[in-house]
Amino acid sequence: MSRLLGCRSLLGALFICLLFLPFGANPYWLFVGNLILIYIVLALGLNILIGFAGHLAFANAAMFGIGAYAVGLLQVRLSFPYWLALPSGGLIAMLLGTTMAFPALRLSGIYLAMATLGFAQFTQWVFLNWETVTYGAGGFRVPAVDFSPLALPPKIGIYYLSWLIAVSLVAFAWNAMSSRIGRAFVAMRDGEIAAESLGVTLLHYKALAFAMSGVYAGIAGGLFAGLLDYVAPETFDLFQMITHKAMVMVGGIGSITGSVIGATLLVLLLEALRAFKSTQEIAFGTILLVFVVFCPGGLVSICRRYLPHWQEPLHVAQHAAILPDTDSGDVSDSPPPPARAEL
Amino acid sequence: MSRLRVENVSLSFGGLQVLSDVSMEAGPGEIVGIIGPNGAGKTTLLNAICGIHAPDRGRIVLDGTPVGGLKPSAIAALGLRRTFQTSQLFRGMTVLENMMAGMHLGTHSGLFAAAFRTSAMRREEARTIEQAHAALRYVGMEQFANHPGSALSFGQQRIIEIARTLIDEPRIILLDEPAVGLSPPRVDELTELLRRIRIEKGVTLIMIEHVIRLVMDVCDRVVVLSSGGVIASGLPDDVRRNREVIEAYLGSEFDAGRAQSQRLV
Repeated sequence: MSRLLGCRSLLGALFICLLFLPFGANPYWLFVGNLILIYIVLALGLNILIGFAGHLAFANAAMFGIGAYAVGLLQVRLSFPYWLALPSGGLIAMLLGTTMAFPALRLSGIYLAMATLGFAQFTQWVFLNWETVTYGAGGFRVPAVDFSPLALPPKIGIYYLSWLIAVSLVAFAWNAMSSRIGRAFVAMRDGEIAAESLGVTLLHYKALAFAMSGVYAGIAGGLFAGLLDYVAPETFDLFQMITHKAMVMVGGIGSITGSVIGATLLVLLLEALRAFKSTQEIAFGTILLVFVVFCPGGLVSICRRYLPHWQEPLHVAQHAAILPDTDSGDVSDSPPPPARAEL
Repeated sequence: MSRLRVENVSLSFGGLQVLSDVSMEAGPGEIVGIIGPNGAGKTTLLNAICGIHAPDRGRIVLDGTPVGGLKPSAIAALGLRRTFQTSQLFRGMTVLENMMAGMHLGTHSGLFAAAFRTSAMRREEARTIEQAHAALRYVGMEQFANHPGSALSFGQQRIIEIARTLIDEPRIILLDEPAVGLSPPRVDELTELLRRIRIEKGVTLIMIEHVIRLVMDVCDRVVVLSSGGVIASGLPDDVRRNREVIEAYLGSEFDAGRAQSQRLV
């Protein structure tokens, strides 16, 4: 029985529930389910960048916005069909995201956070003020996505498209992170110099991390534009960014299952608090604080403690018990504090 | 042909001359010890060899390829590995995953092979896991494969780091104070391991070490650095008797006898 309580079965169960949701749900719950799917993609993209590759970047909401604007504007301004606009939007977000790898080569920690935050504010400013292209502060309407060839109403169509994309991107992230690419990301996070001395080319893997994260956010943005039929600048503000961060922290930093759990729970919480707009921000701030202080590994760290079959790649216990001292010959019998290479 | 040749390398940080005109070489299968007082520039020399610092002047040649100015990852691709003074196991990985990360250059699956788990990629992963286990077995640490690296003791972490450098059939390994913090029985085990590596793997080892007993036991040759310059090099026994070396370590002749009984034996 306990074998079934692994993270793969949890992911499977969640996505099967979401698959059948449209059969029993009213339009509101269909919308919430669709938001969950979109936020899963967003949280996953952010977790790849922050949790696996270790870059404290604050541009995920901006990338989300770039995706939404690109997909929307390509349809409205250049009459792209949605099926062509969506991958193009992902590609544009990827290219813009990748350029951030260059500052990340020189900056880390708080400095990278500031630089990416600056980028995010700049993006927000472009959405608001480049009115000839972006329609300015009022945003713009996007034609409803046409799923008539599949005989699906638009909302059901966009829901299943989101489901398909979310499942594929979860699988993609899972496989990529369990490969040498994921190991190179985590190596880079845990010790850049040590990683480099094992042959990990920093530029290449940083660019890859930013590119992956950009694609995830861009595609999510395109789905979001298709879901709302409307794009407006204030959606992609700092609160949006904090929402993504909170999802990663609540679920579990550096964990794919964690991103999925965090996104699901926090979308539900956001919706529960939607009637009280200002409490959303208070609740999110509190949750973020509580998790950072009391449960830095997120919910998955609790799952892992109690479920022996909870196994994820590259995600060992953060607070692992020190092994019984079989090595009493050593001068130090406890591990030394984390330290960087001495130069 | 020597495997590593350092020719007249000089390096300064700002106004501080850290290495001046340092030359040394190491042949295939040799163990070369670098000793010297603190601040002599030993770690800087290692950092220059592995590409963390580019030398201001001079050449560093690896198997005939000049490597001055190359990035550490490019030099690693030529078959050079190193360990650091502090443990550099990746904390978010198990011991086995750490070893697999050491196979980064020996594997080639790209993003799409990984995402679709192509059969070539799965074969490569299986081979990587096998090699990781073999390297852990080689140093007697296989029982820790699934533990987080950070849960092991300091000495165990150092041995696993050495195993990680071995996994990918390197040509040269640089060890920065492998015996630091080890108790005498552990130093014996390390001595044994380094000898075994030299005999069985044919790899060149360059080792900074303060535990003189280890240096005398395993090194074929010793280079002594002091204040950024080579003051002596040669067979361990010759170096040990060199007057200049004793002075660099012990200051003056006056208390040489007393200090020798404490530090050098």
